[in-house]
Amino acid sequence: MTEITVMGARAKLPAPSWRTWLGVVPFFLFAILFLFLPSGRLLVGSFFDDQGHLSFGNILELVEQPYILNSYWLSIRISAVTALGGGVFGFLLAYAVTIGGLPRSLRTALITFSGVASNFAGVPLAFAFVATLGRTGFITALLKTYFGWNVYDRGFSLYSFAGLALTYMYFQFPLMVLIMAPALDGLKREWREAAENLGASTTQYWLKIALPILLPSILGSMILLFGNAFGAYATAYALTGGTLPIITIQIGAQIRGDVLHNPGLGYAMAMGMVFIMAVSLAGYSWLQGRTERWLR
Amino acid sequence: MSGVRRFPFWSWVWFALGVLYFVLPLYATLDFSLRMERGAIGFKAYQAAFAATSYGGFWPAFSLSLQYAVLTIIASIILVVPTAYWIRLRVPQARRVVEFITLMPFVVPAIILVFGLIRVYSQPFNIPFTSIPLIGSLTNSPWGTGILMVAGYMILGLPYMFRSVDTGMRTVDVRTLTEAAQSLGANWFTIMVRVILPNVRTALLSGALLTFAIVIGEVVLASYLGINSFGPYLFLVGQHRAYEPAALTFLTFLLTWVAMGLIQLITGGQGQAAGAH
Amino acid sequence: MRTKKLVFQLFTLSVVAAAVLAACGPAAAPTEAPAAPTEAPAAPTEAPAAPTEAPSAMDQLVAAAKAEGTLTTIALPHDWCNYGGAIEGFKAKYGLEVNELNPDAGSGDEVEAIKANKDNKGPQAPDVIDVGFAFGPSSKAEDLLMPYKVSTWDSIPAEVKDADGYWYGDYYGVMAFMVNTDVQSKVPEDWADLLDPAYKGQVALSGDPRTSNQAIQAVYAAGLANGGTLDDPQPGLDFFAKLQQAGNLVPLISNNGLVAKGETPVRITWDYNGLAGVDSFAGNPKATVVVPKSGRFAGVYVQAISAYAPHPNAAKLWMEYLYSDEGQVEWMKGYCHPIREADMRARGAVPADLAAKLPDVSGALFPSLDQLNAAKTVITGQWDSVVGADVKAAP
Repeated sequence: MTEITVMGARAKLPAPSWRTWLGVVPFFLFAILFLFLPSGRLLVGSFFDDQGHLSFGNILELVEQPYILNSYWLSIRISAVTALGGGVFGFLLAYAVTIGGLPRSLRTALITFSGVASNFAGVPLAFAFVATLGRTGFITALLKTYFGWNVYDRGFSLYSFAGLALTYMYFQFPLMVLIMAPALDGLKREWREAAENLGASTTQYWLKIALPILLPSILGSMILLFGNAFGAYATAYALTGGTLPIITIQIGAQIRGDVLHNPGLGYAMAMGMVFIMAVSLAGYSWLQGRTERWLR
Repeated sequence: MSGVRRFPFWSWVWFALGVLYFVLPLYATLDFSLRMERGAIGFKAYQAAFAATSYGGFWPAFSLSLQYAVLTIIASIILVVPTAYWIRLRVPQARRVVEFITLMPFVVPAIILVFGLIRVYSQPFNIPFTSIPLIGSLTNSPWGTGILMVAGYMILGLPYMFRSVDTGMRTVDVRTLTEAAQSLGANWFTIMVRVILPNVRTALLSGALLTFAIVIGEVVLASYLGINSFGPYLFLVGQHRAYEPAALTFLTFLLTWVAMGLIQLITGGQGQAAGAH
Repeated sequence: MRTKKLVFQLFTLSVVAAAVLAACGPAAAPTEAPAAPTEAPAAPTEAPAAPTEAPSAMDQLVAAAKAEGTLTTIALPHDWCNYGGAIEGFKAKYGLEVNELNPDAGSGDEVEAIKANKDNKGPQAPDVIDVGFAFGPSSKAEDLLMPYKVSTWDSIPAEVKDADGYWYGDYYGVMAFMVNTDVQSKVPEDWADLLDPAYKGQVALSGDPRTSNQAIQAVYAAGLANGGTLDDPQPGLDFFAKLQQAGNLVPLISNNGLVAKGETPVRITWDYNGLAGVDSFAGNPKATVVVPKSGRFAGVYVQAISAYAPHPNAAKLWMEYLYSDEGQVEWMKGYCHPIREADMRARGAVPADLAAKLPDVSGALFPSLDQLNAAKTVITGQWDSVVGADVKAAP
């Protein structure tokens, strides 16, 4: 496939002068002052052991202990699943209220609701789902009364990976909706009309025009959803407390608990999370580069 | 195939499924909150929740959080929009680093952030090599603590605000807009305020809503910085009760929804396809 | 044009917001309990020109505390041992303000809060802490505490206080079952009863045994009833494994809301939490608290003053209040057994109605620090493998 150089896209941009870099200095300064400096002050503790001596023991434990590796893997799995699931259905919802033809009032309602729901998490969310799908939840009761299905006897449980993923969706769907709605707005109607004039079917339009245009935004939203789920703690703790040891709960156990532990190990685990996030970001950046190639 | 919209069947399907998923848990919470009185449906839990006077009561705590939310949103916009614009237009090399930074708040637990902020900013900054204080201890003064809170909230909301604004800018062709504006003689400030901002309005709204929700419900930062905002209030009142937390959850949900509706109303609505001219 | 509209709308929003907020809330700026004293700093009120009677130590302490004006506490939920009542009582008696930091903090958080605020004299620095037994000595070892012996020091049992006065037991409770009798009328009398199929999917802990003192002690307590001793907590783990396999154990972190909902009708928690919860239900649902017949395990918490406390005198006064008969009774109202209970009963200082409400906990075993630490290592280390879900299982 020949490289078609779209206006400026593949041309090497001139290295910006130092004055141009000034434009991003406020942001970097802010991040250093209020994110890196404070968290670094504590995270540096991962390089010290219980007695305060410099040691790499905590970092080594990360890779040596199976329970820690399992926790990371569990966290990655639940984040990936909810990022994908949340991304897909969130996209469909966003589509429905933007270019999908629903009344304008429904869009306002969904957008504002999504704003609220995006941060509905922790004990209240867990309780809401317990009250819905727990053993004494009203949907569980409904299914038993009207359909004769005892879902818990059939093996369903809210207190499982699937149940937690389902609960996580409550803040993943809205996040996707909020980020994608403006992007979907940007799909110019002229493009659709032009495509139809040229004889494209709906599927062709979506596959060849709309989705490629939207893909960078979709990817960007999904990495956000991934990070959102990766860092979640309170909901998982409340709902599946002792049995699904995602890494944030392990960190909490080391740093926060009522039981004497090793904060240094907790900080090391947090550094491990940073590393995983960096790797995910690298993968995402690579994908992003490929999809944004022909967009300016 | 014409461009006339037939009945958007699938849109309604997705929307209906969404409504079902979102409303059922809320209904379950509401139902439970109304049952504090044995055998009756009533608002006893709501009355009990409002009667609590910790931290001055419901409304003072809520309004304090509102103030913080507004401040955080404004400060975030001022920080993020020019940065996202600059990255997109002039310094794409910085994109990866900036995106990495904006994803960091997800992996730094809020409790680490707050203890770090306290450690760093409880000491005054002296002019190097002297003991003359340049900035006093931020934690010792109310406005200093306020600055720390707003900065902390900005950090927490950074992933969402940046992603929203960045997506919005990708959708709008900022390069062409800028070139057009420049050729008409606009300076940077004019370009930013009169050309870019209005075009990313829907994206800004998304970011603002997300930040707002975060600030209203935030507990960790507020409770360790010693600020009696809404999050700590909810905790103090509802922690060990049965029905009051459900009542407060539902009420907070409604109130925040109304507040967001107001925000949307005042910022002039949404839905105009940005750049579809 | 559109920009003008936008700017105008932003302006209107700000004005409206400011007006609403000014009308709604008294606090226009994020203020805290003021750092400046609310009481006029006073010399001891009884200091006459020609001293015939020196002011008592207590009066001096009160005056000094009033000069400081505020006490900063942390991790004191109002419904836990009636801390709400104790705080109100303290405020009313001495006119001090109480600045309450995170009521949900765990012991580790409290210690970290002291460390983070070493250089900070602002309202974020806690003056006093209430932490798990094991945290007393460990905090002392890290030089985080200030010694102080309250005037009633001698009536605190020796096993639960530091000889030098750095930390001291404050109250204790016994692990019990809180049962929602509307949902589950069969009330378990002992640990072994919990294995009954009638409790399928109904039993829950109040925390994660990796993090929560309450949950770890629950496992430890179960062990005592199943052949374990204070030196051997393994039977406790085995018991919970059996509970999990029988399908009786729900992984939810239980709280009063979930008990009332009926989702976790049997909650394993401290007796005082259960009793306070039952009170708050006010009959809806009907619930009861049962102290198991065997396997009675007492958990002690300790008080301490931070070495970096911005208000050391207020902190000392708070301790004096808590360890006075008045303060100890406040804890009793929250169904906790105050540490001076034996002494108070001997002097008849316990109100009869309160004494009747406290559950019978005779025979409860108090672990020593070493036993606690050893047990914690065993339980937290093995919980995952013995009881936890198989994390490799497919979603």
